[in-house]
Amino acid sequence: MNPMEQLPDKIEELVHELSVLPYNDMHYEGPPVGALVLTNYVVWLVIATLTVFVIFFLVARREQKRMSFAVESGKVTDLAPTSKFVSMIELGVEFIRDMAIDVIGPKDGPKYTAFLGTFFFMILVSNIYGLVPGGKPFAGTMGATVALALIVWVVFVFVGFKKNGFFGYMKSLIPSGVREMPLAGRIGLGSYIFLLEFISTFIIRPLTQSVRLFANMYAGHIILGVFSAFVVLFMRQFSVANFAVGTVSMLFLIIMYAFEIFVAFIQAYVFTILTAVYIQSSVHASEH
Amino acid sequence: MEAGLVAIGKGLAYGLAAIGPGVGIGIVGGKALEAMARQPEMAGRIQTTMFIAIAFTEALALLGFVLTFLL
Repeated sequence: MNPMEQLPDKIEELVHELSVLPYNDMHYEGPPVGALVLTNYVVWLVIATLTVFVIFFLVARREQKRMSFAVESGKVTDLAPTSKFVSMIELGVEFIRDMAIDVIGPKDGPKYTAFLGTFFFMILVSNIYGLVPGGKPFAGTMGATVALALIVWVVFVFVGFKKNGFFGYMKSLIPSGVREMPLAGRIGLGSYIFLLEFISTFIIRPLTQSVRLFANMYAGHIILGVFSAFVVLFMRQFSVANFAVGTVSMLFLIIMYAFEIFVAFIQAYVFTILTAVYIQSSVHASEH
Repeated sequence: MEAGLVAIGKGLAYGLAAIGPGVGIGIVGGKALEAMARQPEMAGRIQTTMFIAIAFTEALALLGFVLTFLL
């Protein structure tokens, strides 16, 4: 049998496997599952969240003990982390803190370290779980990423209102150059820019932030799945041509796998830095 | 017939939406590389800004991607 003829079936199977299904029934067919059904993505979301929580809880407790020990002994060197793992986590948190200070500013930045760090480590751990065979990233379904983007939306809108007041935040959507124009320009151009900025701030931002994460993870898994299907289908029957195609697919699969690890990091980073940028634009809304 | 046309439309929607951002991200990346080569000590800041710029450019392609699902 020609392997290419079986490919559409394999891809359909793959797409089905990546859709939202009850966690205990991989071959579920029929209408989309309801809100109260425990789905495969929710299971992996819970696993990723628990992993992050347990790691950070243990590390934080250890650091706290270390701190009180150093206070007692009075030596600065006792503050240094004792194990490589603790040191690694500390490095990650410092990375987030530096990013927050860099983007949001030295005064307001450190306040948001915990918020940004939660997003970064949750998405990162979940994306890494998605690369383990059998695992799934929660970002592989639109519902989860929309929920994350909505949390970000609520936070940056709230910060904007709190820092500038309702009218101040709305006014800041119009650039200051337009605000200083003559009256006709202010009304004509101002209302037009306000409309554009309003749509891009309140609608496009959460939309793109959620779709970016979802699209990258979903597309990555489809690519990995298609190459795996190629390998399986072509290696099944031995001939020189089949073997060549299978070997090349295998090579590409390995390369794409490495690339997906990179994407897992970069998407967690991009999501976090965009959150920081949105918060920054709310905090400093009156300045531009 | 109709399903085939929808499939072609989906392909066109995403393909056309990817042209502009493709060029844009190329320019962003190239310029960032140029800047980093001129001032290696600013590489960290430039990289951060580059990622933000790429994210904004990419948004247009993502709108096309969403459109393929909506069609």
